[in-house]
This record gives sequence, structure tokens and C-alpha cells, in this order.
Amino acid sequence: MVVSFVWWLAHDPVHDFSKSMPGKDNRPPRADSLTELVHIGEYFNAGTGVLTEGKEVWPRFRGSDFDNISKSTHKLLDGFGGKVPEILWTVDLGEGHAGAAIYKGAVYILDYDELKRSDILKCINLADGKLVWERGYRVTIKRNHGMSRTVPAVTEKYIVSIGPRAHVMCLDRLTGNVKWGLDIEKDYKTEIPFWYTGQCPIIENDIAYIATGGKALMVAIDCETGKKIWETPNPKKWKMSHSSIMPMEFGGRRMFVYSAVGGICGIAASGPDAGTVLWSSTAWNKSVVAPSPVCMPDGKIFLTAGYGAGSMVLQLESSGSNFTIRMIDQYLPLEGLASEQQTPLYFKGHLIGIEPKDAGALRNQMICVNPVNCRVPVWSSGPEARFGLGPYLIADNKLFILNDDGVLTIVKPDIKKYIQIDQIKLFDGQDAWAPIAVADGYMVLRDSKRMIGIKLAVD
Amino acid sequence: MDRKKFINNSGRLVLLGGLAYLTGSIIYQRKVSASGKYVWQIDPFKCTQCGRCATECVKDLSAVKCVHAYSLCGYCDLCGGYFKPNTHKLNTGAESQLCPTGALNRKFVEEPFFEYTIDEKLCNGCAKCVKGCGSFGNGSLHLQIRHDLCQNCNECSISRMCPSNAISRVPIETAYLIKGDFKKPAVSTPK
Repeated sequence: MVVSFVWWLAHDPVHDFSKSMPGKDNRPPRADSLTELVHIGEYFNAGTGVLTEGKEVWPRFRGSDFDNISKSTHKLLDGFGGKVPEILWTVDLGEGHAGAAIYKGAVYILDYDELKRSDILKCINLADGKLVWERGYRVTIKRNHGMSRTVPAVTEKYIVSIGPRAHVMCLDRLTGNVKWGLDIEKDYKTEIPFWYTGQCPIIENDIAYIATGGKALMVAIDCETGKKIWETPNPKKWKMSHSSIMPMEFGGRRMFVYSAVGGICGIAASGPDAGTVLWSSTAWNKSVVAPSPVCMPDGKIFLTAGYGAGSMVLQLESSGSNFTIRMIDQYLPLEGLASEQQTPLYFKGHLIGIEPKDAGALRNQMICVNPVNCRVPVWSSGPEARFGLGPYLIADNKLFILNDDGVLTIVKPDIKKYIQIDQIKLFDGQDAWAPIAVADGYMVLRDSKRMIGIKLAVD
Repeated sequence: MDRKKFINNSGRLVLLGGLAYLTGSIIYQRKVSASGKYVWQIDPFKCTQCGRCATECVKDLSAVKCVHAYSLCGYCDLCGGYFKPNTHKLNTGAESQLCPTGALNRKFVEEPFFEYTIDEKLCNGCAKCVKGCGSFGNGSLHLQIRHDLCQNCNECSISRMCPSNAISRVPIETAYLIKGDFKKPAVSTPK
């Protein structure tokens, strides 16, 4: 009895337990990455290609109107008829998901070349895929689920690109001459997002807008001179996300909506208070945000993110010059429209997107919801029509969906039901996640290692 | 032919047909064991991470363990199998971890890569990490029945409860279906 009592007293039943404390992974303090001196735009190579003049443009991420809907007048294929469209050209690229912009016959893409260890902005002739010129700079990037991730912004005069480690380069569009460069990581002490920079720059009225994170929340830079026009302070230390700035018109104001890691805000785009925060909210604070905000005309803003974050719908309201933002709904991926990488489409007052893998029975299905209630699908593509993390856009009143492995699907855009028109294996692809670009009847797509050009116009 | 003979012949024919079908289907599926021995195993491509492997095994601590196909792993800093969804602090603190028993270990390799290993003494086969890895990553974490722990019951109690019929007997020569070497059966691609 006594022995048992002593044993009971002396025995520690949890003696072999260990505490799970931070730091057990032996991660060293973050290295100061400023030691690498990067000369943005340091070299230029002319190619053999000659530009064939085009008429139309797809000048940036999500196209001219930021809605991923092409306004091209070209009539595109109604179906494939069992025949794979001819791949006009193929360009090998470094591993990544950077997408192309198209401007009057020229394709612009920011690639990372592992052999040259360089970010390289390539100008390629849309008609034949030949390199016209390229401008690059040496910078060390390690593979991390791909390297390049952004789409350049292109205007008549300028091209602005952002590299994986947030090096901004502004070039003359036609000559490729360097206008200016900006090292955001160095100048703004910005923490680069997990899988490198995914933010695509925008240019409006010859001014480039970049959400930097770090010392500033957003900056406006004159494209001609590189001079900073305004900087939005970042007192809450919000971080750069993979998401991009989306312009929004509401309450008589034009504003830039940005979903950072830390919160979401609307920043005045013009007027004497340009660059000031009109409204902000920390209700939306997710650790990884890749899709961009979908801003709707009635002031609703749809936000979604991956890694189980789910979605949120905000309502922006204005009263005089004041703006208020309130949350209407938030839910998990299992409970309504969500997206991990791609930004859903806003079409005829409805939202259309592809559900992530953690969406239960609707996983990987395309669904359409009314923003009034994003939890109830108006339609879903059904278990026989599942897609991946690839892009989708509307052109010539057809919804084109590219699957991870290179399967291209045509769907009739409709807010009442899912109507699949045709589907074809376009190429043997892997991780074909980059946004699609459409102009002059051509479609430019890519997988993780190559970009292809096809002609879909029937006229 | 009289009635008795007809019934006898018909019976023989049905028996032979059944045996031929059984043999044929086994040969077709190439699941014949050279040694004639079979063990229970999980098809990682059928598994839906329902969590029943942790509770239905006759062993006190399930014989089902998480295994890691390193060739498929992205060595991510933000690992969907290791961290709870929407965790902001990517460190080894218990509050950030998805695994309820702390069986998944994370070690720094070089920026921005981390290696994840499984402590099988702690793993209960709950598949929370498998679900996280499959939902947000490459799906390199998956469940397997450990044959040094499995009692190889005549009727596996987990297989009876498995909602996706992911557990079946496999030849002992291919006792483990590790992702990478073991690939998802090909499906016809859309035309």
C-alpha cells in the first residue's frame, strides 16, 4: 500500500511530453536580402522578330476594364469540332505563372530565366511568337512553386513590370529603353509574399500604382520621370499580398481597392486628397490572399482567398465625402463561392468562379452566384465538369476555361444554367495557371514552362 | 437430356463460369500475390480523409499512419498540412499546428524551404494533415497501413467503415501504395 502510494506520488504520467513552442524548426532570423545589388534593366538584347501591327489590346491583368471580359469585335470559334486549334507558336519560359499582356500586335511577358538568373521582360510578335527584344536584370530567385507570377501593365508609351522579388521596371514600350526602376523590397522594407510577388501593376494617365506594403501602403509614380507623386502611409504595417489593386468608382469617387495581408482599403485615386485612405477594414485579414477584390457597381466588394480562408462580402456606403464599409457575409469555402488563385468574374450582376479543393461536393466545379447571397449557387457545372486552378475569361460572349493540364473548355456565359459548348485537350500542360490574354483574334496561354499562341478568330 | 442431367450441367456451367470470371478479374487487375499472401492497404487516391482510420482500427493507437512522399513535397514554408488555416505566425507553436498530437515535425532547410517528417509514435492516422496537404499543396502526405503494427485481421474493421472503399487487400509484394511510385490509375482525357 505504502509502496503504491509512493509510486503514485513519484510517477509523472506526462514525463515524456514535450512542449510545442515556436522556434523548434531551427529557422534562423530572416536574412537581410538587401545585400544583393540589382541593377534594374541593366541589359538589352534585340531579337530577330519584327512586330506585325495589331489593332487590339489586352493591356494588363484582367484586361482593359479590369473585368476579364474581352471587348474584342473578332468572332471567335463556336466550338472545336473535334479538331485541336493550331498552335501557331510556342515560347519556352522559366518555371512560373506570369501572364502576358498584348498591345497592338506585341506580347509582353516578364519571365525569370534560371540560366541567366535574370528577370527578363520579353517583347514577342503576337503573329509568329518571335522575340523582338528583351530587357533584363540579374537577380537571384529560387524555385518556389514557380518563380514569375505577374502580368505587366502596358500603355501606348510605357510598360511597367514587377518581378518576383518586387523589382519594378518601367520601359519605353516601343524601344524597350529604361525609364526608371524601383526596388520595393529594399526601398520600402517590404516582406516579399510567400510565393513571390503576384501583384500586377496598373497604369492610369501615365502614372503607375503599386501597393508596396512595408513603409508605405501604396505609391503613385510618374511613368516618364520615376518621380513619386504620392505615398500612402502604412501605420498598421500591412503587408504586400499576392492580390492586385482594383480600381472602383463609387459615391462619385474613383478609388483603388487593395486587399493586403492585414486588411482591405480604398485609396483616393484622384483629386486633392489622392493617396489618402478613404476607408479601410481589418475584418478581412487573411495570411495568403491571391485573388483580387471584385468591386461591384452597387458598392459590394467580394473577397476570397485560399488555404481555407473562404470569402467575405463587404458593402461600401457613402455619405457626402465620407465612406463606411461593413461586412455583409463571411463564410468558409464549403459554404459558398470561393477561389484560391483566380479572381471570379462579375457578369450580368452575378459572380462566376471555380470552387477550391476544400469546397466539399462542389470542389473544382464552376459555380455562379448572385452577390446578394453568395452561399447559394444559381448553377454549378456538376460533378462531371470539374476544373483546376487555371484561368477563365469571357471573349466574344464565350467563357473560356483552361484546366491545369491544358484542357480548354468553352462555356456559354449564362446566369441561369451551366451550358458547356465544347472541350479539347489543347496541349500537354502542367500547372497552367497564368491569366489568359486575348486580342486581335489570338489567344495567348501558358503552363508552368511555356507560352503558346493560338488563333481562335474565324473572321 | 433428362431434367436431372440438365440441372447438374447447368450448375456446373454456372460454377465454372463464376470461377473463370473470378480468375480472369484477378489476373486482369494484376493483384495476384506470388506468395499467396495479402495484406490490407489504403489506396491514397481513393482516400477522402474522413478520419475514421483513427477511430475504427482495433489497435489502441491506429496502425494507420501518415507517410510522406518527399518527391512530391513542395517543402513549403506555409504548409497546408502543418498549419491551421489562416495562421499568421508560421512557427512551431502548438496553437499554429493542425496535427492534434504534434506528430508532424518541421525543420528549416534553407529559405524558403522546410522539411516535414512524421513521428509515427504520435500519429493516430486522423488525416487532418493529409486533408490540408491535398487541399492546398501537392498532396504528398497520405495515409498507409503500417504492417509492423497491423494485425492483418481477417476483416479489417476500418475497411468496413471506410466510406470510399479505399482499403482493400493487396499482394504482400506490393504492401505499400506510396504516392509517386504508386500513381493514380489513368482516366480517359476529354476529347
